[in-house]
Amino acid sequence: MWYKLAWRLFRHEARRGELTIILLAITLSVAAVLSLSLFSERLQAALTERSADFIAADRVLDSRKPIDPEWLNNAKDNGLNTAHQVYARSMAFANEQMSLVSLRAATPEFPLKGDLKTTDQPFGVGIVTEDTPKSGEAWVESQLFQSLGLEIDAPIEIGDMTFTVTRVLSEVPDSGFSVFGGDPKVLISIDDLDATNITGPGSRVTYSYFFTGEGAQLDDYYDWLEPNLDREIHRWESVEDDGSAIGRSVARAEQFFLLASLLAIVLAAVSIAVAAQRYSQRHYDPVAIMKTLGASKGTIQKVYLLQIIFIATLGILLGTAAGMLIQQVIVTVVAQRMDIALDGWHWRPLIIAVFTGVICALMFSLYPMLKLFSVPPLRVLRRQMGAGLSSRVIQFVAAGGAILLLMWAYSNNIVISLILFASGIALVAGLMLVTYGLIWIGRKLGQGKMGAWQLAWARIQRRSMDNSVQLISFSITIMLLLIVLVMRNDMVQQWRDQLPEGTPNYFLANITETQLPNLQTHFSENNVIVDDYFPVVRARFVAINEEKIRTRVSKEEEENVEREGRDGLGREANLTWSTTLREGNTVVDGTWLSDQNEAKEYYGVSVESGIAEGLDIGLGDILTFNIGSEIVNVEVTSLREVNWQSMQPNFFFVLHPKSLEGFSPTFITSFHLDRARKTEITKLMQPFSSVTLFDVDARLDQLRSIIDQVSVAVEFILVLVLVAGALVLIAQVQASMDERQQELAILRTLGAKGRMIRASVVFEFIIIGVVAGAMAAIANELALFLLQSQVFEMQATVHWEFWLLAPVIGASVVGILGAVSCWRLLSLNTSHLLRQMV
Amino acid sequence: MNSTPANMIETNSITKVVDTTEGQLQILQPISFNVKAGESVAIVGASGSGKSTLLSLLAGLDEVSDGNILLDGKALKGMGEEERAQLRGEKVGFIFQSFMLVQSLTALENVMLPAEIAGMHDAREKAQEILEKVGLGHRGTHYPNQLSGGEQQRVAIARAFITKPKILFADEPTGNLDAANGTKIENLLFDLNKGSNTTLVLVTHDNELAERCQRQLHMHAGELTELMGEKLDNSEQLARQAG
Repeated sequence: MWYKLAWRLFRHEARRGELTIILLAITLSVAAVLSLSLFSERLQAALTERSADFIAADRVLDSRKPIDPEWLNNAKDNGLNTAHQVYARSMAFANEQMSLVSLRAATPEFPLKGDLKTTDQPFGVGIVTEDTPKSGEAWVESQLFQSLGLEIDAPIEIGDMTFTVTRVLSEVPDSGFSVFGGDPKVLISIDDLDATNITGPGSRVTYSYFFTGEGAQLDDYYDWLEPNLDREIHRWESVEDDGSAIGRSVARAEQFFLLASLLAIVLAAVSIAVAAQRYSQRHYDPVAIMKTLGASKGTIQKVYLLQIIFIATLGILLGTAAGMLIQQVIVTVVAQRMDIALDGWHWRPLIIAVFTGVICALMFSLYPMLKLFSVPPLRVLRRQMGAGLSSRVIQFVAAGGAILLLMWAYSNNIVISLILFASGIALVAGLMLVTYGLIWIGRKLGQGKMGAWQLAWARIQRRSMDNSVQLISFSITIMLLLIVLVMRNDMVQQWRDQLPEGTPNYFLANITETQLPNLQTHFSENNVIVDDYFPVVRARFVAINEEKIRTRVSKEEEENVEREGRDGLGREANLTWSTTLREGNTVVDGTWLSDQNEAKEYYGVSVESGIAEGLDIGLGDILTFNIGSEIVNVEVTSLREVNWQSMQPNFFFVLHPKSLEGFSPTFITSFHLDRARKTEITKLMQPFSSVTLFDVDARLDQLRSIIDQVSVAVEFILVLVLVAGALVLIAQVQASMDERQQELAILRTLGAKGRMIRASVVFEFIIIGVVAGAMAAIANELALFLLQSQVFEMQATVHWEFWLLAPVIGASVVGILGAVSCWRLLSLNTSHLLRQMV
Repeated sequence: MNSTPANMIETNSITKVVDTTEGQLQILQPISFNVKAGESVAIVGASGSGKSTLLSLLAGLDEVSDGNILLDGKALKGMGEEERAQLRGEKVGFIFQSFMLVQSLTALENVMLPAEIAGMHDAREKAQEILEKVGLGHRGTHYPNQLSGGEQQRVAIARAFITKPKILFADEPTGNLDAANGTKIENLLFDLNKGSNTTLVLVTHDNELAERCQRQLHMHAGELTELMGEKLDNSEQLARQAG
């Protein structure tokens, strides 16, 4: 019987539009969560794909010795594509000059991801190539042309073999983003590697194996491979491990998407709570009637639970369809603006969206439903009797618990979840206080002749509880929108700030002390502005606290170095000196060089915190450097965090100037040259052929394009959340309009002019909007501070503009929505309104 | 007092006290009276005299503060909300001043509602039949707000009679209707009542309507008197007997 009744009620109410709001809320929540998370999942996959370009594959296995061929066979059996490359540092000889080079011997499949770019003249614009060097060929980076006086088709000697230089190598996908990271690269075919004879016993060679394939295949393969790996020898690398600027930008964007989706869930939850409340109130009478007619509590519970299931099911179905559609539209638009493919299908967003719909529908309707079940039958006689249940504890526990649970389940990030949740609680508590304060003020202001203004205050006062609930939901909605808006602005701004106009695109190294004055004059005569020259002394890092460390400088030396000892840098260190802490450097531990007590035995050194952690260096450690034939001991007095994204020369080791007195340094610097003047570079550098030039334009362009693409994506997410938020506001205003209907009808019947009623409703909404906006601005600031400082690792800032803007926006948006809804209501005739009230 | 099947309703010194901000308020003084099966009784009195309170107690919608009520021999005292609901479903029908139809159900479905709650399988047929009886056979698919006040009350009457209740409680059944519609509803109510031998308890301040009942009880400031002037409180008499 009860299921028939439930179905009948559902059918009629759906047809009569009674369920529109709650259905819309569930549909909206499912649609928002689905479209947001499906889009962000697709976008993340696309961006990860892009990032994969930077490691030239989906996964890379680095090894210090060749791996068992069985491992590669297994990868192929698993359906993975593989490529192989061997890295070695060696000397290259040409024109009776020599230079240390980073040799790469690759299989023809390399790179599996990203592009290899070459050109036919040094410092020219690189063009994508599908080829790799043939046997006997060497592709060589521009700066080697400069330092060895090479030309195309000239011979170059590496190890025991002579190669012909056939192309200028301008871009290798997996070359990393460190300007000083390496020596000029030379790419040869892997078939020629043995002939060079540089990979003999004791040589320090890295064998890299590249893999691409489906995520699951890669994971399966890694599961199989992992037990065979030796941490000392092997390193498994994936895109997520990418610590580069791009890697970090993508990671931050992912957190933003996560945040936006979480907020969408909260918005959806708020709208469902509002709609469920309204639904419950509208069913007080039917429940009282059914109870009077003899229905048991159990019957009523079953009838309404089934109703909720019907509504939730329909909402989830509609929401899924709408979410797919919205998402598809966005994908189409984004794909047009961004050069990425967004076609992957992901089940997780669908599961999350359905789960959200179910949890929201059940948990947020729990309290209104319990209230509904507690309606006494006596209400049929005593019309003013409401629900018997008045404690809101259940509501707060159920709703709060559901929100926190959803956030946590969805984000797997308890920090973000707790921050948002805590600021929500603070907001609710603050709003409660404000509401009651407002009501107190309202009592004072609302006295006197009854006009629209007084009527508005009177209404706010009379429905203090309803209004505070409404105020809280408005504030939360506005706050969430502000968070997303500000995060987007700050994040995009901070990204763009990393690469402002005029970011250095050329780096110079190996400027000798005698060349320096001439170079400075020459550059200023040619209108090239150079800010600063950094002295550099090349040194071997040999010991930490007198414990020898492994180094490798050149093949010859390496053979004599034992394989034991602590991990070292793996190459020569660039030491600089300064007592000025440079921009982008922050001391995180210890005291900066200028401030320290000079009475110690050794002069101080400041070490970059990342390398300090990697090499296990702590404050007070004594580092030993070998410069030429001299030994320099320094004591670690501070650890620095360095912004590697600043595109300025940065150093792992900054020594006290006195510790390097007497050593003759070379200088390095960076400068910006407009793209239009790119052709001048060869002429500019002609008098200084021994100075090494690095062209990082290509890298900068890559970085910029990624940042632009991520920014576009972030903007789209923002628009989505704004739309979700606006819909929630509409649902709230509509729900509250419903409560006002009776009052409006009475006022109209009593002859109140439409204009006055409208004005009073608009005033009421404006007052609520202003307060909600102001509260949202404050809560927003708190949430942003926590989010930026704890989660996004960004500089937290105060956003004064929103303190003014939020109340104004709140007033306008809520006021307009109120006016529009009110217009609809007042356009109905009074008898219709009165009849609806029955 | 022994209950006999002849008495459909027995009340024994029932009182109702409610808590207010100014302390306890006694809405009903001790009241005792019986209603025989098939009898029609009108409770009249001014607004706020306690008529509706008495009705809510008799129908088991509310609990007495003291005393006891027996409906068809069953004591309401000690019954929980669920048991009282079940009793209402089995034995009681209602008609309200504000009709109290479920707005989202059609006229036919509103009439079906108590039959379905009682688990009757032929609810739809019965509902259609009784709608025909009240002259609304052709309006079954209409929603309450598509019906006039008189029509809505006729639907309510059909709903009240569908389960053939032993007792029918009516709270100001014509209170919201104009004179012409009021009279029609009265006629319908009494005709159906006579036909089904239902015990009718009717609360009204309409004297004409009250006069159509076999007995009229007058409520004033929480005290109930028979129209003949007999005070319907036997608590003193009981006290004397006990003494």
